[in-house]
Amino acid sequence: MKRERLEIIRDILLIIRDYKSIKRTPLLRKSNLSSQRFSEYFKELLEKELIGEATDSKGKKKVSLTEKGSRYLEKYRTIVSFIDEFEL
Amino acid sequence: MPPMMSGRMQEVMNQLLSASIGIEVVYSFVIIVCSLMVYFGTKELYELSSHKGIKYFRLAFLFFAIAYFFRSFIKFLVYFFGVRAIRDAPQIIGALILFIFLYASSMAVFYLFYSVICKKWKNKIYLFHLAAVILSLVILFYRNNIAYLLINILLFLLLALGIYLSHLSSKGKKKNKFFIVYILLFAFLLLNVIDILLPNIIGKYQLTFYLISLGIFMLILFKVLKKAG
Repeated sequence: MKRERLEIIRDILLIIRDYKSIKRTPLLRKSNLSSQRFSEYFKELLEKELIGEATDSKGKKKVSLTEKGSRYLEKYRTIVSFIDEFEL
Repeated sequence: MPPMMSGRMQEVMNQLLSASIGIEVVYSFVIIVCSLMVYFGTKELYELSSHKGIKYFRLAFLFFAIAYFFRSFIKFLVYFFGVRAIRDAPQIIGALILFIFLYASSMAVFYLFYSVICKKWKNKIYLFHLAAVILSLVILFYRNNIAYLLINILLFLLLALGIYLSHLSSKGKKKNKFFIVYILLFAFLLLNVIDILLPNIIGKYQLTFYLISLGIFMLILFKVLKKAG
């Protein structure tokens, strides 16, 4: 079954939360998306500040969850239930 | 008429006018507050999700608040200066206020409608802005009451049918009956516009009409607060 946009975002954020910080390539693999779709979502999540990218002490770029990203995960069920209730 | 009787009549008329304005103030205030509470109550859900449906749903209630603000403003002008002050006044101000009210009312209905169908009909909101501007200008310049009533009835039927068809084709896991509230809201908002332009049609049922409108807005607010937390 095709995943909805909000569900895909939740799945990506959950992977990042579980790993605390993760590199882009393993995140792509675990997200189960094509690289093109992953890039689109990744860009959107960065722009909306749901995730942040920082360079670690070894000079490697790693992705981590922002406060807004954690809030998204907390509110995910509320958002989906709101959309269902009002048929949006 | 004896001067005393005339004075008494004037007093009664003033009391009725005050009561009528009082009802109008309370009615508009409650609807504006409900609409703004829906708008601000869903702010976080939209900021987190960027969901188009939530975006247009919120905008619908922002426009409901704007429309009701101008509606009460027009009512005040009508109470104090008569119907002609709004419709026939040559002043640009009267026409501008009426245009904003008509445009905001139409857009409130269109945004709510589009919030439900935007998944299937992407990036077409500009068509509704265009329709709202044309509709408002037609009503403003083409002063034919029958034509105006027909336009509103036709618009209502189209929107109600669209919402119903969208409800039937929705893929939601559990289907609810909220589309009925939307249809009722469309009906009452259009009646609000009719109440401004053709006040005699609503006439003695005005209080009932106000109470039902308030009930619909409060039901939506209750649902929003319950769901949005």
